[in-house]
Amino acid sequence: MSKPSVPSLKYVQTTCPYCGVGCTLNLVVQDGKVTGVQPYRRSPINEGKLCPKGMTCHEFVHSPDRLTKPLIKKDGKFVEASWDEALDLVAKKFKETSDRHGPKSLGFQVSCRTPNEECYIMQKLARVAFQTNNVDNCARICHGPSVAGLSLSFGSGAATNPFEDVLNSDLILMWGSNAVEAHPLAGRRVAQAKKKGTPIIVIDPRYSPTARLADDWVRFNPSTHIALANSMMYWIIKEGLHDKEFIEKRTKGFDDLKKMVEKYADAESIHGVPLEKVKDIARKYATAKNAVIIYCLGITELTTGTDNVRSMGNLSMLTGNIGREGVGVNPLRGQNNVQGACDMGAYPNVYSGYQKCEVPEIRKKMEELWGMEAGSLPDWYGSTLTEQINECGDPIKAMYIFALNPVVSYPDSNHVMRQLDKLDFLVVQDIFWTETCEHADVVLPGCSFAEKDGTFTSGERRINRVRKAVDPPGDAKEDWEIFVLLAEKLGLKGFDFKSPEEIWDDLRRVTPSMAGCSYARLEKPESLHWPCPTEDHPGTPILHREKFAAADGLGTFFGLEYRPPAEVADAEYPFTLMTGRLIFHYHTRTQTDRSKILHYEVPEGYVQINTEDAKRLKIADGERIKLRSRRGESLPLARVTDDVAPGVLYMAMHFPNGANMLTNTALDPLSKMPELKHCAVSVEKIEGGN
Amino acid sequence: MVKKGDMFYAWTSDAELAKRAECGGAVTTLLKYALENNIVDAVLAVRKGADLYDAVPTIITDPKELDQTAGSLHCGTMLLSKLVKNYLGGANNFRLAMTVKGCDAMGLYELAKRQQVNLDNVLMIGVNCGGSVSPVTARKMIADKFEVDPDTVHKEEIDKGQFIIEYEGGHKGISIDDLEEEGYGRRPNCRRCKMKIPRQADLACGNWGVIGDKAGKATFVEVCSEKGANLLKAAVDAGVLKTEAPNPKGIVIRGKVEGAMFKLADKWRKRDFEALGDGRERLAKIVTETSRCIKCYACIEQCPICYCVECSTKKPYLVEPGTLPVPFMFHLIRFAHIADSCVNCGQCEENCPMEIPNSLFMHAQQCELEQMFGHVPGVDMELPLLALVEEKDERARLAATGSDQIFDIFK
Repeated sequence: MSKPSVPSLKYVQTTCPYCGVGCTLNLVVQDGKVTGVQPYRRSPINEGKLCPKGMTCHEFVHSPDRLTKPLIKKDGKFVEASWDEALDLVAKKFKETSDRHGPKSLGFQVSCRTPNEECYIMQKLARVAFQTNNVDNCARICHGPSVAGLSLSFGSGAATNPFEDVLNSDLILMWGSNAVEAHPLAGRRVAQAKKKGTPIIVIDPRYSPTARLADDWVRFNPSTHIALANSMMYWIIKEGLHDKEFIEKRTKGFDDLKKMVEKYADAESIHGVPLEKVKDIARKYATAKNAVIIYCLGITELTTGTDNVRSMGNLSMLTGNIGREGVGVNPLRGQNNVQGACDMGAYPNVYSGYQKCEVPEIRKKMEELWGMEAGSLPDWYGSTLTEQINECGDPIKAMYIFALNPVVSYPDSNHVMRQLDKLDFLVVQDIFWTETCEHADVVLPGCSFAEKDGTFTSGERRINRVRKAVDPPGDAKEDWEIFVLLAEKLGLKGFDFKSPEEIWDDLRRVTPSMAGCSYARLEKPESLHWPCPTEDHPGTPILHREKFAAADGLGTFFGLEYRPPAEVADAEYPFTLMTGRLIFHYHTRTQTDRSKILHYEVPEGYVQINTEDAKRLKIADGERIKLRSRRGESLPLARVTDDVAPGVLYMAMHFPNGANMLTNTALDPLSKMPELKHCAVSVEKIEGGN
Repeated sequence: MVKKGDMFYAWTSDAELAKRAECGGAVTTLLKYALENNIVDAVLAVRKGADLYDAVPTIITDPKELDQTAGSLHCGTMLLSKLVKNYLGGANNFRLAMTVKGCDAMGLYELAKRQQVNLDNVLMIGVNCGGSVSPVTARKMIADKFEVDPDTVHKEEIDKGQFIIEYEGGHKGISIDDLEEEGYGRRPNCRRCKMKIPRQADLACGNWGVIGDKAGKATFVEVCSEKGANLLKAAVDAGVLKTEAPNPKGIVIRGKVEGAMFKLADKWRKRDFEALGDGRERLAKIVTETSRCIKCYACIEQCPICYCVECSTKKPYLVEPGTLPVPFMFHLIRFAHIADSCVNCGQCEENCPMEIPNSLFMHAQQCELEQMFGHVPGVDMELPLLALVEEKDERARLAATGSDQIFDIFK
């Protein structure tokens, strides 16, 4: 009798490929295939618990739609090519463009869903091969203002305290964060705190699933954060509830702030919150022993993004709520590696660890460590993500887009498509065919999170290991390897990496704040929070304990004036459109929509509209309607609800021909964040809509 | 002649294994013997992962690899039974030996009733379980209450009502009762659990009742089935396992330990269930708590009762898809489908990302149904109150009636 075949069963512990919480999970591997996700209970981050996306994150891995061969566009058609042929072409075109038009003619865009090692090697390649700083990542369109704003306020552009630390708080203030949907396992910490009896204030124009957790839900007019924060701070100072000792010892600029907020004693006409309510939440925040601010894209995705973030910094410093357990200012980072992509220097003005390109000593150091000629690294501020789109054709001629889908995720899709078509040469490297691939000249098949080793750095600055579970499909290659091969074609030195760990060690060599984080130390489920400068350093879960990270060690107050959004509702476009995310999808759905259950839950986009508006316009729940902005139109289904106020609409950003057909490209002057969360639209009932 | 009901002290004759394993290494020896002698094709057990607090299930076909599963891990809080259904084809095509806690064994019976696991092919080596502690809770408890660095602990156990750790430089024990009063200790479902010696397995093994010179050096084995009897006898005959009659006092002590655990479980049941209230008050509590649900489906994925291919929670006319808060019908469907057979394994609660005490709600209902109708899930192959059906046939029958509701299940 032959022995029956016994199925294999292997658990590969890895990090979820979706939001910035960085949950650990087990991929179940059987006979070379990922067959499921099982909880990893030893994880200090999520204790085995997962959200709908994490539970199903294995489903797209073996999708038949995966890209498996390099493709080159010939006579308007994509034909399969060998890696040699495709990479020769990429190297040749980029070299030619650079030679002819200089370093500003190239653009490099990195996705925050790719591991640190790949973000690092791509920016290194751009800088070493082409001496360009035109390299950016999609944090630009989520938490770019956090990096800019928190750097200005505190000297470091990252979350100050870990997610779990909210359990040490006496009050949680959530501002523009729908964590229950967008960061569910950070939302869990808030739910845990609520069970303990910790009061929760949620400030959001929309009655979101997170607002439902709140003891106080404060509805305010969209995009009026600064007016509301200034008013709160006015009353905190007026009633003497500010932390004078903290302000005196650890900060500067208080007088600027004090002077500014005097204009905001009563700003109800701007933000719409009754004065008594403003005083009430101001008092609660200021008098709690330890109060934490959690914020998210409601704060950042506006032309006032950096100022909004600095307002959070102002609030926390005014009340001494920074630098210990249970306090702090925590942006919830959107994508799995949005913290890491920035940390790695996939940024137009900094190298890894936020070492500034404009500082000659730093350039000199990097040139030495990267084996480059003295004086070869550029000092100029490179073009940001959406600036690069605006510059397509002039001066940018060739672009390399790594794992991004700008046609759906950037503002004003029509504009993005028009611009991409102006390029001489576009490379898209991804795992699925996306709307953006249509505009490419070469498409390179990369790998999913399940097919490579590496690290993701979560929103709490924790560096979590990603582990290879299975081989890539067909001829697809691990993305870091593609860059190694391309570097070889370009004849570059310092790119002969044999593994992601070797790339990581190269990063550690040039990055003081992460030098102590060896792969061996990251093996521990607790891993490490950077800064971690040496091998015996324990890591830094909480920032700014004794002094701020700024050069003078002080936190800085800024007096900030409220500015309205770039485009506000008017007679022609009478509605305010806000955008956001759903729990069931991740970004442009290339991964999540291939999960059967996630597709079942939300197969297409919808818009939330207030019941009064719907009644007036005779729009029924579930009816298809037309939204128009100055830039385009969209035909979503209507969800009629009081979760949004009259005159306000809400749409998720995940769907093609959806929210980003309408959104505005106007930029925050400091961080270059486009105003994704606020634009003016009209609503029309359409024939046969129901 | 070994038969059901017999009890032994048993230990390995492999001196090396005896050193590494706990309590004489009887369980590892039995599994090894079964694998080496083609009694089973594979063993499903847990091994240590990153550290003492990390239990990883593993399939073993090479007897040499079995040693890595020796020893107990009280932080192993997963349910093995659902893995057999989800990843091992329900053991339909091969013979599998497993070490099972009470909840694992109960889950296997419930899956077998639903034809999702073939128990004929499963050899269950039961192990006594006083309850398990979630890994992160265990580490916090050791740091906060024991004031010991959890990384320095090399052994933990629950014995004589205490949680005991051995670490570099000493050992410490604290009363489980005291720890649990402060919110540490065992998982809530484990506190209420009364399946401490899994006698529905083929053999029930543990250290309770091993006294005298064999204390710590032998395992107490109760024979619970003919399959178990045959395995034990064969292992003894082959000389790999040694046995002796248990000390009669040991048998009494084992009974007392079990009895004490039952009393503690009754205390927790009373406390947990009474806190739930009843009637409208209980309903309001359940509605409030479940309103945080984010529809991750973990409670369904991990439940050893759930087996439907077409889950009713995924029917758009019963639960509107894509909305938060999730309609309460989602939870009502779970209660209706599971409550009579809930084995209180705790998975629906432990894996819930929104801290909903799912297991408490379901277990409370199961206990009331058990009082009313006398059906005890997880102990044998008796079918639950509502007749189980072939899912496909029943769906077809219902579809033909033009309704999806079950009106006449007794036809």
